[in-house]
Amino acid sequence: MVNRVGNISTILNYGNLKHKSVQFALNVSGSNKKLPTMSKKADHAVKWIGKNLSSAENRLILGASALLTQPFIEASNKKVDDKTRYYAMCRTIAKIIACTFTGFTIRKLCIKSINAFTKLPNEITDTMKFKKLRSCLLPTIEITKDRLEQHKNTLGTLLALDVMIFTNFFVDAPLTNLLTNLFVKGGRKNE
Amino acid sequence: MSKFMQLFINTIYERFSANPAKMLIYTGVLGWFLSSTAQISAIAANKNIPKEQKYFLIPQEIGDGAVNILSFFLITSAIKGYASKLVSSGKLANIKIRKFLTDSGINIKTKDGWKIKDDNFDYSKFNIKDLPNYDSIKDDYESFKNGMEVIGMTVGSIISCNIVTPLVRNMYASSRQKAKLAKMNKTQLTHPRGISMDAYRNMAYAKYGNLKV
Repeated sequence: MVNRVGNISTILNYGNLKHKSVQFALNVSGSNKKLPTMSKKADHAVKWIGKNLSSAENRLILGASALLTQPFIEASNKKVDDKTRYYAMCRTIAKIIACTFTGFTIRKLCIKSINAFTKLPNEITDTMKFKKLRSCLLPTIEITKDRLEQHKNTLGTLLALDVMIFTNFFVDAPLTNLLTNLFVKGGRKNE
Repeated sequence: MSKFMQLFINTIYERFSANPAKMLIYTGVLGWFLSSTAQISAIAANKNIPKEQKYFLIPQEIGDGAVNILSFFLITSAIKGYASKLVSSGKLANIKIRKFLTDSGINIKTKDGWKIKDDNFDYSKFNIKDLPNYDSIKDDYESFKNGMEVIGMTVGSIISCNIVTPLVRNMYASSRQKAKLAKMNKTQLTHPRGISMDAYRNMAYAKYGNLKV
């Protein structure tokens, strides 16, 4: 493997590639000269993301970045006529808004509801209702606190997927149609 | 609770709790499939969208689902795997893991920074988990690796779902639309809807009796 990387380096004239990130990327499986080490702040940020970024936040990030890229990709599609381009753009924006809104809300609600039934014995208080059910979704094998948090996210996401079988058809799709028609009409009025 | 349900919960915990990025990939793919199916039926049912535009939007949605799933596995998994490899090989580490690697004789600290001890060291075969004292940094290593994988997965899905997929699906949909419109126009040309010569003659006779054709 070292030889293979060495050959690639020679082909790409590795010695002349001054940018550190390029050298680093080319050298994943070979030996290296200097090793990047994350600062404490960056390390905290990475760990926080790993712990707190569930599928709900992931959907929100994807939706927000989709709004920044996809409408422009649609608008610059020269392979279709103006009318089709206009409809595609309106529908893309409508779909991103509708799907991100329902996707995020449902995932978040499902993760919260799973959280209510994965309580550890010391977390169950006297004022809680349905005490017997509060830990019914806990695994019976050895668990750690960090992994339990991820377990809640996973179960919540799986529940959200089941819910979305219905909401994709009965909420997302009609909402996308409604918004598409609104955007198409709104755009025509402005013309 | 039933044994089956408990087995399911335990399996989910074992498979995904230590690796949430893996779960995000699987659920993301399933989500795209479901969403595309619903959106295709929505376009077909939308009476305000003209037929010619539906010829583009429906293949676009089919392309969206298919390319999304494909690019999710090709690009997102690759970036996530790359991030994971960087951490597991010790190439990218936090201060605690780097110190552990130094103590284990893998890295050395010089005045220019951290360096590898042996120049012939092969990263491709190395995994921090194989080191004898791995348990001492297990928790720190796992949470750092999880974070890097989730970051890799999120960056990967932005690139695949929001840049690669729209470009590819539009290429596919526009070619499908062209083919469909060409077929539609061709059909109209081979079967003209104009009146026949006999019908025209009859109409002419009926309206202008003295007209000779």
